[in-house]
Amino acid sequence: MPDETADPAVVAGLLTYQDAATVGAAARAVREGLAAHFAGVPTRMLIVDVGSTDGTVALVREAFGGAADVIEVAPHRSAADLLDVPYHGIPGKARALRAVLSTALDLKARACIVFDGGVRTLTGEWVASLARPILDDQLDFVSPFFSRPPFEGALTKGLVYPVIRALYGVRLHQPAAAEFACSSGLAGHWLRTDLWERSGAQAGIDIWLTTAAAAGDFRVAEVPLGVRAHGTRGEEALDLGATLAQVVGALFADMERHARVWHRSQTRVPVRRLPSPAEAVRPAAAAVDADRLVEAFRLGYRELRDIWTFVLPPRTIVELKKALDQPAREFRLADDLWARIVYDFAIGYRMRAVARDHLLRSLVPLYSGWLASYAGQVRDASPEEGDRRVEALAEAFENQKAYLIARWRWPERLRIG
Amino acid sequence: MRSPAWYQQAIIYELPVKSFFDSNGDGIGDFPGLIEKLDYIESLGVTCLWLLPFFPSPLRDDGYDIADYCQVHPSFGTLDDFRRFLEAAHDRGLRVVIELVLNHTSQEHEWFQRARRAPSGSSERNYYVWSETDTAYPDARIIFVDSEPSNWTWDHVAGAYYWHRFFHHQPDLNFDHPPVLQELLRVVDFWMEMGVDGFRLDAVAYLTEREGTACENLPQTHAILKTLRKHVDTRWPDRMLLAEANHGPAEVRAYFGDGDECHMAYHFPLMPRVFMALHVEDRQPIVDILRATPPIPDSCQWALFLRNHDELTLEMVDDDERDYMYLAYSADPQARLNVGIRRRLAPLMGNNRRRLELLNSLLFSLPGTPIVYYGDEIGMGDNLYLGDRNGVRTPMQWTNDRNAGFSRADPSRLYNPVVMDPVYGFQAVNVETQERDGASLLQWMRNLIGLRKLFPAFGVGGLTFIDAANHKVLAYVRDDGHDAILCVANLSRAVQPVELDLRAFAGSVPIEMLGYTEFPAIGPQPYFLTLGPYGFYWFELQQRDA
Repeated sequence: MPDETADPAVVAGLLTYQDAATVGAAARAVREGLAAHFAGVPTRMLIVDVGSTDGTVALVREAFGGAADVIEVAPHRSAADLLDVPYHGIPGKARALRAVLSTALDLKARACIVFDGGVRTLTGEWVASLARPILDDQLDFVSPFFSRPPFEGALTKGLVYPVIRALYGVRLHQPAAAEFACSSGLAGHWLRTDLWERSGAQAGIDIWLTTAAAAGDFRVAEVPLGVRAHGTRGEEALDLGATLAQVVGALFADMERHARVWHRSQTRVPVRRLPSPAEAVRPAAAAVDADRLVEAFRLGYRELRDIWTFVLPPRTIVELKKALDQPAREFRLADDLWARIVYDFAIGYRMRAVARDHLLRSLVPLYSGWLASYAGQVRDASPEEGDRRVEALAEAFENQKAYLIARWRWPERLRIG
Repeated sequence: MRSPAWYQQAIIYELPVKSFFDSNGDGIGDFPGLIEKLDYIESLGVTCLWLLPFFPSPLRDDGYDIADYCQVHPSFGTLDDFRRFLEAAHDRGLRVVIELVLNHTSQEHEWFQRARRAPSGSSERNYYVWSETDTAYPDARIIFVDSEPSNWTWDHVAGAYYWHRFFHHQPDLNFDHPPVLQELLRVVDFWMEMGVDGFRLDAVAYLTEREGTACENLPQTHAILKTLRKHVDTRWPDRMLLAEANHGPAEVRAYFGDGDECHMAYHFPLMPRVFMALHVEDRQPIVDILRATPPIPDSCQWALFLRNHDELTLEMVDDDERDYMYLAYSADPQARLNVGIRRRLAPLMGNNRRRLELLNSLLFSLPGTPIVYYGDEIGMGDNLYLGDRNGVRTPMQWTNDRNAGFSRADPSRLYNPVVMDPVYGFQAVNVETQERDGASLLQWMRNLIGLRKLFPAFGVGGLTFIDAANHKVLAYVRDDGHDAILCVANLSRAVQPVELDLRAFAGSVPIEMLGYTEFPAIGPQPYFLTLGPYGFYWFELQQRDA
């Protein structure tokens, strides 16, 4: 049995909120993973609940009450957290993460892993896959790579991943995952930054932790973990506009903070893709209604083109106009065009060319157009072919980085007033 | 490598509260008005505000004649207004630097009123410098030659002469009397406790007097500054002291001490030489003065400016240079004041946009922290027919409405009339118009400030001049160990070719920074460039992987 009085080498934090249906299995998986893969190594499991009312906490206490290696951590909570509902459903997510990282540092842990108590597919293997590289290979940040059908996580594939890769040269394919592992050095770095207090931290914290690691001098890796399936927390799913505004807004807001870094980064930061015992699972692909997406794009062009002209140059508007007449199944937006659109929106966000929330929501039809185009290209593709399509898109974002930098440094005010 | 201090990376915006925005319609700008305009200041991208004196004062020297160090002049608001302003500025990430006039007070300050009535030799009397004659310290020059015949003025109440290096209504404090410094340290604590981020130390070279000297830059003055700095460092870390010492670079260097006096000091001699270089179309005046500038401690920084609230001082140039500058930049004798030229930047540049951009490119790329004088970001003009230096202290021009949008007061109530001439008047030059013009000077300045902030090398990098046969072109590299930035400026009104010796950077690829345009890689041969009239380039010299 591990020495429960010694400083733990590994601390695993389980964040919970209304997870009565899943938390028992998730907590057992984490604890068993720690025991199975870190035998003889002191470990702790932190349970951080952000205000469940469905008995989540009672279930955990019932299962682990009295266990010296299980610690309940109460994060500071704010009533505002409940009003600032993040898209991934844990109100006060930033405070909860901060509590986990602070406690891990206080316990002098060498590695800290974070899990979401709502995940149904969490296994003990995840614990080892995420934490081992921190302990054994002196890595600082290990991000998961979950098997996803081509259309799942499309916003990450079509925007978040390519932008972060182009800006920092870091190829983390799922850079805003709720699960990750970090070294004590990186945890300390994160805790010293002001990102916890920034406006929008509850929604943006996952992305911001990744970009802070990418912008710093930290060694990063990603590890395949199989399939991630999440239980429902009873809340209604946010519409695409709200989700996009939160995710993309957090990404754009972060760009200004690290501008000095990404204006200079020319090299690719090596990201190790670590082997994992997770089986290569091929989850079922969801259907995508290309007709509906293209119609949303066309409607957006009619209704929002005026807003777009505040941030998109005439050349781009003309190219979008040309795309209107394409049949839905043949609808295509060129990768470099989509990259420039995203970059121009980032600059418009920075310049406050239009009220930021309006600007972000006006991106939705353009994203729908890109998604229709992407769907048309990967409709019958294998996951590997789908991955190659995403890589080609990411290369287009890299190729257009000079376009972004030029306009970021010397913005052109297309329309004023 | 040590992280640069905030003041080494700052972009400072200088403004008089009275001139910025009047919130209560009394014709005088105030702190509530300034709070209303913080969004504008933040949008400029500047990181620090330097406020001209806002303390109770008879205002015979625009507030540098202070009657109470720890209050706000009622025309500008209250102490609570100042606190609200400070909090609002800090909320926006803006630092705030205020004035500390150490050298003198107003005649109306209670210390002087007490001193003139106190017995000779008493502590109260000794707060100031007294003499029974007006002949002591004869080697001290008169600074305000246009208005003051002597550095001594008779006080009939005291029955003695008192010493003043500036106006006769500004008696010099006596720093040989220890209670004086203790009083001023209490003033420092008062404002620092409130949260101000630094002090501009006005007229800091004149604190002490000794017979047989010019009474400037004396060792006793430096000892006082060391005491002040130690006091600040002990109680108020991360604050800044900025020395105003209008002297040559070697003398001003002493105000940094060994990093134990002032954090910053103005580089006064650079400014007239920049104007001189532009007019003679030759880089030599700039190169000479910067080569004559000694290195400063790592924790210190020069403060650079093109124009400020005073006249363009020509004290730091020789007689021939001064004559040239008067002829070149003040053909109208009305523009001359004391030993300088009382004009704003845009009129000095003949309202030539290219020249304005060129000078700002120098301000933002030469070694130091740039200071932008309010209104220069929109190319405001001046009014030569207002007395003293009031012509460059006119109301900020916000709109083309009444009073330039500065105040709702009757125009005749304004503390100064707004500029109304056809070229620089508020109908033609104002913030609102330039906000709506994507190609305006205001938008250009915002872009330049944003670009400068991306590169710490501009703040703390070393300076290396690059040799070129064409003297109309000034070229230098700023390098902080991370970034090397090549700056090339054409000081001439005609297109100029130039061959630069860049062998030290062979293999690097110059990336023109404004457009992020890649230029041919640097090789062993001279690097050839062509610059348009008053054109400038900033290049990032990128090392490329083999």
